[in-house]
Amino acid sequence: MRAYPKGLLTVAVLLLAVVLCGGVMAAENVKVGIVLPLTGAQAKFGEIEKRSFEMAAEEINAAGGIKGSKLELLFEDDTGKPDVGRAATEKLISRDKVTVLTGGYSSAVTQAATAVAQQFKVPFLVTTGSADEITEKGYDYIFRINPTSSEYFDPFETLIQKAGGIKTMALLYENTQFGQSSAKDVEGAAKSAGIQVVVKEGYQAGAIDFKPILSKVKGAKPDIIYMVSYVMDAALLMAQCKELDINPKMFAGGGAGFTLPEFQQKAAAAADLVYSATLWSEDVPYKGAKEYFNKFKKKYNSETEYHGAEAYGSMYVVADALKRAKSFSPNDIRDALAATDMMTAFGPVKFISYGKKKQQNKLPNTFVVQWQNGKMETVWPEAFAKKKYIFPTPAWKDRK
Amino acid sequence: MGILLQTIVAGLLKGGLYALIGIGMTLIMGVMGIINLAHGQMMMVAMYIAYVLNTMGVDPYFSLLVAMPTLFLLGVLIQKYLLNPLIKVDTILPENQVLMTVGIGMVLTEVIRFIFKSDYKYVTTSYSSATFFLGGISFNVPLTIAFFIALAFTAAMFWFLIKTDLGRSIRATAQDKDAATLMGINTGRITVVTMGLGAALVAAAGCLLAPVYYIFPDLGGPFTAKAFVITILGGLGSTVGAILGGITLGMAESLGATYLGMEYEDIVGLAIFVAVLLFLPGGFKRLTKV
Repeated sequence: MRAYPKGLLTVAVLLLAVVLCGGVMAAENVKVGIVLPLTGAQAKFGEIEKRSFEMAAEEINAAGGIKGSKLELLFEDDTGKPDVGRAATEKLISRDKVTVLTGGYSSAVTQAATAVAQQFKVPFLVTTGSADEITEKGYDYIFRINPTSSEYFDPFETLIQKAGGIKTMALLYENTQFGQSSAKDVEGAAKSAGIQVVVKEGYQAGAIDFKPILSKVKGAKPDIIYMVSYVMDAALLMAQCKELDINPKMFAGGGAGFTLPEFQQKAAAAADLVYSATLWSEDVPYKGAKEYFNKFKKKYNSETEYHGAEAYGSMYVVADALKRAKSFSPNDIRDALAATDMMTAFGPVKFISYGKKKQQNKLPNTFVVQWQNGKMETVWPEAFAKKKYIFPTPAWKDRK
Repeated sequence: MGILLQTIVAGLLKGGLYALIGIGMTLIMGVMGIINLAHGQMMMVAMYIAYVLNTMGVDPYFSLLVAMPTLFLLGVLIQKYLLNPLIKVDTILPENQVLMTVGIGMVLTEVIRFIFKSDYKYVTTSYSSATFFLGGISFNVPLTIAFFIALAFTAAMFWFLIKTDLGRSIRATAQDKDAATLMGINTGRITVVTMGLGAALVAAAGCLLAPVYYIFPDLGGPFTAKAFVITILGGLGSTVGAILGGITLGMAESLGATYLGMEYEDIVGLAIFVAVLLFLPGGFKRLTKV
């Protein structure tokens, strides 16, 4: 009986020591909570962003950190589900006591996570989650570096005008918050540009067979097929468009999946000449963009794209705000974030309010890329174009 | 008309594959009386085997010959060392074997994630998106091949269960385990063989799906759910029922996608699931009697 409490005491002392050490270490580091899909169907995007966050944090810490203390990144996996994202955010705030939050990939998860951050009054810089609603709720602790998904279509409008001859559109989107929100905006934009939307269909992500909706699209003979899809759905959609011999003048992807190397590898020949909206490519004229691309490639031996650049940029924005903040209290960090005006590898970052949006970053340009011979080339706007866009897309049987 | 035919063809082809996914689960359900909630995850493992072999230049159809025995072995080991010991243990929960399969599913997913990361993998073949046209209706070549191989496997399975001694023992165990034991059947061994067979069948489905789909560690979950729906549709333990269930699900999804909207694909499948539970409890087995 006597040995037992003694043992317990030892354990208690040890625990205390661990807790104290932990406490001391925590005081040295600035904890940044990051919510990302590290498992689940969106894990690929989560991985690119996580690596970019880590790379940026290493650079910042190597350059002296934040006012003498180091950045400590605490990643939580949201598995792509809003309820898990919500719980993960709560854990980061109440148990890990993070100073500031960033990350947020899918719109549905981000919406749930930002609501928690706002409730606890912890500043949250949204990296991706692009549905318009997220910055339209009047939340004052929420900032977003990613332009809203309604702006993805903007460069297409001018490109379509220039190319000419596009009168009808088929609009396919995955029925998630991101897909629905984008589809609604694109439909509105198309209407005001005088393009008739002849087919508008949502689909369940992860489907094996898209032929039911593609048969409908084929019957409607649209001039442009605009798809809002994640990477593997995007690849299957294009492969099956080729199978069914669907020949619009233009295949266009609304960001997300169409810019990943995996899309091109899986869809192979079917990916050729597909256009995609993008927010960033390694050719953008922002300082550090190309360096980031090369560093990423060297470090991880794989390619990065706009999601990674966003994460990399987010980390620098957070670090910048932390450096400028009067203290690490949520309120001071919030004020510092609100005053952000800087250049990152992702582009200029400044949080402004316009329309219904609050504390939303607006990029001067978004871009259109086109897959040409297995390479993704920036083709629009003209001032940034590396290659001339190929239009109209030739019929499948006339290729090669 | 063209659209309707195309939809039916698409549903039928997908249904054949679904049947093969469901049949293993229904077999396990019939004999062990448990739902194998690691079923889709086992298929995922088989798909990774097809992927690895493909990087060495092996055609996914030939990888059937490797993936099926490997998964058979995996099934046998799981049953022998993880599930059967649980029967002897008294717990407060009677379904602890089912809970164990959930755990096994998670372990399989995470082990694969550890080895292959979360990247999307795909099996590239020259015929992945090859098609032929029959009266204006397009048939995807790999899905058509998968359909016929699935039918062949199902027929073979049926013959095996009806005609062979081992098959009869499996059916006897499914009907009444105690009686089967009294008749001298080693039911412990039968459960091990059944799990192996179920795993091998879903491995076949995985290899057939690989050329048309993509591979990532988390793809097991949705397919476990589909297999479960098919098992309930077909009637627990019924091979013929599983074929009907698979084709019904494939058709329902396709027709629903065309005429209601593809975003309702899952809802249509689950609505049928609920309708069968309400109006035809016992599934198609009640109609076919086998």
